[in-house]
Amino acid sequence: MNCSADVSGFFTGKGIDQMKRVLPFVIIVAVFGVAIVAAWSLKRSGTEVPALPSSPSPAIIVTGASPNEAAPATTPAVADAGADPPHVQGPADAPVTLEEFGDFQCPPCGLLHPILKTMEKEFGDRVRVVFREFPLVPAHEHALAAARAAEAAGIQGKFWQMHELLYTNQNTWKDAFDVRPIFEEYATRSGMNLEKYRQDITSETVQYRIFLDGKRARSLGVKGTPTVFINGREVPFESLAPEKLRLVISAELTRLGK
Amino acid sequence: MENSQPGNSAAPSATLLYAATAIVSLVGLSDAIYLTVEHLAGRSVKCTLSGCSEVLSSQYASFAGIPLASVGAAAYFAVFSLATLAAFGYQGVGKLMTLIVALMFLTSLWLIYLQAFVIKAFCQFCLLSAFVTFVLTALTVMIAKRSARR
Repeated sequence: MNCSADVSGFFTGKGIDQMKRVLPFVIIVAVFGVAIVAAWSLKRSGTEVPALPSSPSPAIIVTGASPNEAAPATTPAVADAGADPPHVQGPADAPVTLEEFGDFQCPPCGLLHPILKTMEKEFGDRVRVVFREFPLVPAHEHALAAARAAEAAGIQGKFWQMHELLYTNQNTWKDAFDVRPIFEEYATRSGMNLEKYRQDITSETVQYRIFLDGKRARSLGVKGTPTVFINGREVPFESLAPEKLRLVISAELTRLGK
Repeated sequence: MENSQPGNSAAPSATLLYAATAIVSLVGLSDAIYLTVEHLAGRSVKCTLSGCSEVLSSQYASFAGIPLASVGAAAYFAVFSLATLAAFGYQGVGKLMTLIVALMFLTSLWLIYLQAFVIKAFCQFCLLSAFVTFVLTALTVMIAKRSARR
């Protein structure tokens, strides 16, 4: 075969016309391919399921959880413990532990709040809920103040009361210029010692707890809020609707034979 | 088959305008893909403006269960494809591109209105998308004016 005879036609006007006709389609297909790959990579980076340590330390709140063998190899081998003790609702021996990483100013977290309450009611002693602070700063200007208020309330044993007030009244304070008096009013309403609350809100203890929860969130690959883990496995956001979450919890209970 | 065959009639400046349209639409495509993926993954998009969560979790962020951002991604990709074809001299595709850009422009105006007066919060990624659409509209008008002169 004479190679030079084969390619000579390519450089003629006809060859260039042919190339000109095909090239835009090549570009379009290439861009389509790049877009699909980019979307896939983005989705993958946001949905990696973190593996839990095979022998959880006491501070890691996993009850009835088994190591996630199907988890990708890239997930961290050991997750940070988070603030200790964590804020927990429900019995310590509940087979299902639902851990929420939340931001009190995040609207989807506000929407999830009544859903989780319904799940707690429906599943009773079989579910316990853990709340972890993950204020999205600076996207939510009052998120950190709200997290501090909740943690300061926690020092007086009123975390869940403040948690309830912050979420149910989210629309009242999220656009406020100064949230301090609003949160103080919630503290008073929850029966807290206001002076102590004022001292605690800026304390290192409160700051450090938020830092530790954030550290745990990052070690688990949490990118946004709300992020929910059920027995150490991340629940996709689309499964947080009540009917789907109910199924996820039921499936976990069935898996554990409870 | 005049409408589907490449020709040499496109003036260099019109080719440049189509090329610019294709490149600008890629910015919108990237933005829309990001928003679509974040929407489907259910994440709160991290923004420097404070209104992203409000806008992206509002009822207007999806239509009949389809994320609005995915419709935007499809529209930007369509504009990119048509502009690329037009830049290579394919005739007739410019009109379809103009129609799509006009629809995108009107949709962007509607979405800005929703952010400003209904949701009362702004999302920077949505504003970027609107800005890209406005640039595409300007380029399309320039192309249309050029065609009218010829």
